Amino acid sequence: MIKIRDLEKIYRTEEVETVALNKISIDVKEGEFVAIMGPSGCGKSTLLNILGLLDDPDNGSFLFNNIEVAHFNERKRADLRKHNIGFVFQSFNLIDELTVFENVELPLIYTGVKAGDRKKRVEEVLDKMQIMHRRNHYPQQLSGGQQQRVAVARAVVNNPKLILADEPTGNLDSSNGNEVMTLLTDLNEQGTTIIMVTHSEHDARYSHRIIRMLDGQTVLENIMV
Amino acid sequence: MFKNYFKTAWRSIIRNKAFSLINITGLSIGIAASLLLFIVVQYEMSYDRFQPNYDRIYRVVTQDKFDKDITYNSGVPVAALKALRTDLPNIQFGALKSIYGSQVTVPSAGNATGNKFILKSGIFFIEPEIFNIFHYDWLVGGADALKDPNNIVLDERTATTYFGNWQQAMGKTMVLDNAITLKVSGILKNVPANTDLPLSVLVSYETLKQYGSAYNHADNWNTTSSNFNVFALLSPAAKAADIDKALLQFSKRHYDVMQTNSVKRNFLQPLGTIHFDRRFETLGDHVTSKTTLLTLSLIGLFIILMACVNFINLSTALSVNRSREVGIRKVLGSNRSQLFAQIMSETAVIVCLSVILAMGIAWIVLPYIKHIASIKEPLTLFTPKTMGMMLAMGLVVILLAGLYPSFVLSKFNPITALKNKMVSASVRGVSLRRGLVVMQFTISQVLIIATAVAVSQMNFISKADLGVNKEGVLVLSSNGDSLIQSKQMAFKQQLLQVPGVQSVSFNSDAPSSDNTWSSNFAYNHQPDEKFQVTLKFADADYIKTFGVHLIAGQAAAECDTSREAMVNETLLKKLGIKNANDAIGKEIRMGRNKWLPIVGVMQDFKTNSLREEIKPLMITSNKSFQFLTAIKLRTHQLPHTREAIQKIWAQFYPDYAFAPSFFDEDIAKFYQQEEQLSLLYKIFAGLAIFISCLGLYGLVSFMAVQKTKEVGIRKVLGASVASLLKLFSKEFTILIIISFFIAVPVAWYMMHTWLNNFVYRISLSGWFFIVAITGSILIAWITVGYKAIRASLANPVKALRSE
Repeated sequence: MIKIRDLEKIYRTEEVETVALNKISIDVKEGEFVAIMGPSGCGKSTLLNILGLLDDPDNGSFLFNNIEVAHFNERKRADLRKHNIGFVFQSFNLIDELTVFENVELPLIYTGVKAGDRKKRVEEVLDKMQIMHRRNHYPQQLSGGQQQRVAVARAVVNNPKLILADEPTGNLDSSNGNEVMTLLTDLNEQGTTIIMVTHSEHDARYSHRIIRMLDGQTVLENIMV
Repeated sequence: MFKNYFKTAWRSIIRNKAFSLINITGLSIGIAASLLLFIVVQYEMSYDRFQPNYDRIYRVVTQDKFDKDITYNSGVPVAALKALRTDLPNIQFGALKSIYGSQVTVPSAGNATGNKFILKSGIFFIEPEIFNIFHYDWLVGGADALKDPNNIVLDERTATTYFGNWQQAMGKTMVLDNAITLKVSGILKNVPANTDLPLSVLVSYETLKQYGSAYNHADNWNTTSSNFNVFALLSPAAKAADIDKALLQFSKRHYDVMQTNSVKRNFLQPLGTIHFDRRFETLGDHVTSKTTLLTLSLIGLFIILMACVNFINLSTALSVNRSREVGIRKVLGSNRSQLFAQIMSETAVIVCLSVILAMGIAWIVLPYIKHIASIKEPLTLFTPKTMGMMLAMGLVVILLAGLYPSFVLSKFNPITALKNKMVSASVRGVSLRRGLVVMQFTISQVLIIATAVAVSQMNFISKADLGVNKEGVLVLSSNGDSLIQSKQMAFKQQLLQVPGVQSVSFNSDAPSSDNTWSSNFAYNHQPDEKFQVTLKFADADYIKTFGVHLIAGQAAAECDTSREAMVNETLLKKLGIKNANDAIGKEIRMGRNKWLPIVGVMQDFKTNSLREEIKPLMITSNKSFQFLTAIKLRTHQLPHTREAIQKIWAQFYPDYAFAPSFFDEDIAKFYQQEEQLSLLYKIFAGLAIFISCLGLYGLVSFMAVQKTKEVGIRKVLGASVASLLKLFSKEFTILIIISFFIAVPVAWYMMHTWLNNFVYRISLSGWFFIVAITGSILIAWITVGYKAIRASLANPVKALRSE
């Protein structure tokens, strides 16, 4: 599904040049659950941003479903993203002005799904995430665990092929964290590819494979048994 | 999609209540103010545009070129009318003569002497041909009603006033100036108020021909009265420039043979310029300068710009707080154009709310503005033009206010935005925001300076020494017919018996007035001088009544016809006479009349409004022109004195209406337009300053939130409240000083040009500019102060913990 080769990302200011990704090469197969770990500043988030088509690399190749996307323009990236990729963030990133229902509905609006279908699909996914009873609440009225379930619902409502999760349990207690990890595992079992950045060895154990990074490079890969 | 945009927009407005309130208040006040100014300007621009032949109607006017100056006259000699028809047969001409202060007596069952009405807005002796040029609707009759002598046409309003209703007026008789019996032979539908030809009482021109001498109407080439106007309707193919060429030949043919001391020329004045050309007298109630309208339009534009600036400033500042939302939307697949559309929709929601509020404000304020601008026509907001303007204004404001913030927000990098790493300084537009604040304060300061100058000039005028006494002089007008004249001496004696009356003078004109009676003249048996002399006719008590000072000689003797003359200092200066006593005993002659000895030289007083220079003046007595009675009153017991005067008037002149006015009030009317403008300046400058303060308050509130951490750290390190206040106000103070240096030349040029309208004016001293900068800084500090003090006094621990 994902094939990156010699990917480079360098951040430059007037005086300093920081190599965030140093000729990194990774493959992720469809249906895989991959965890990326490493110390702060090792380039995990940069890698995730490039994989999520939020950022573009300076050099190297990025094949997404055998299409070279490394140098797509913003419109093409947005198009590919909204049809194929779902995101789950550490800080949930729900829009405060929208209700639970409206937050989950948002990706469907951007992909042009009709109102009737949208309602059906949002209700289905809220039901599945067991958050239906909170559909008319605003994010500030929910607990952290509930907010993250809404975020996961929003990530999956479009049936994406890939979910990118950036420390999804970072802001949760262990019970809520486990719940979210179970949700992600269920999704993976249903066929969704998941790439997760995490600092937690416990969460990483839910994945099939752990990629460890240091200074913009992969240093080790653990296959989970 | 749009539903979602509007939903988010609405919730965002509710969430950011304070900022939304600032934005909506500023925009609604700005839009309402601009709309009101648009209505005023549009009304002034609409004068006579309801005439179907508007573009083809012209007035034939006269220019007199003297050696040193040029004078303009809205009229032509009476004899020119016939000559124009003969020489330019392809043009339709029509003439009218306006007379002011006449009286009509309407028979009344309850009043033996009839009801009397003074026609202050004038009667028009009018040719039926005028109706070939101008279009008016008739309720009864038509132009033919004015074909024969002794016919009168009234408009619906006047007919109703005189006879109860217009249907009853037809066929009734009424008496003009106690001498001419007229029959009502037609009723005109009311003429709109936005006209310079306010026809309400029309008498057939043939009547004037019969009673010409009573109205100084002589069919000759010698006299040009601004009250005798000839209008022309050009054929669609005709070009005004060609007709002007023909009029030049016409002028040469008829005027050059007269060998006067001036070169007289006729030319066409388009109907569309009559309302705006101060060179000519108007038949309507006022002339408006286009500069005034331009100034008002610019103020309207400035105010709306300032409201947009607030919007842009606050939106771009607040965008820091919205970066996360933008980031999420981008991550979820929104592209730039969708985000752009969303933010534009939010602007549209705020602008729509503001427009609705603005309509409400404008609806409440419109009657006051109508009053200030002296608009007589009923005004309504709900006309297609106003609605169209509102719609256009709304769209322009959406674009002006929304484009830049939409551009900035939609361009956010989603990664940075999501991590909430956007800080004020990293958001594009900090320098733009500073630029916009400078622009706002430049406009505010220009308006502060303009208001201060306009108010000072108006104060200067109202307190200016005219050189005569303007307080407590009651002026009674009459038509000066033989009956009035025959009783004048006895009337005066009776008036002088009233304890509150100090002196009484019969005269043609008050010392300062907008009358322009002038003549060519000769001095000391020399040929005619190359400039004209202004004429006033008055008895000997004129000097005492108006407090005119004589610097040489004495007052001219009272006489039925002119026997002696007084002149002013300006006339002597223009003649090159340095010592006033040298002129005493010398003779002066107006036109081709007899030579009169100069017996007195008057200290200069303002002969006209302060817009004009003092004119060379000659005063002599001539009973037939002395139809005004000026009464100098003692200031105590004014109401009793006025009552006593009215009783004496009724006793002497039961057939004449009592129409008093105070001289100082008449003078105030000269400057009505300037007073209005000065008041409009005050109101709208105040609004502009308020809007800019609103914006500033919003920015400082935002800054206070942004600087919470900085303030906390500084306080922990020992910063005083004063030093923290400095931190907040320093930037704005610098911006105000920058805007001051931009405002100074703009305001100086603007007000210098405006003051040039007045010959007597204040000087543009540095104080006006000092007031502007001090005022602006104080206003800004007060605006900034509250928020800054609150931020400075906050507990630093709390500020740092929140970080």
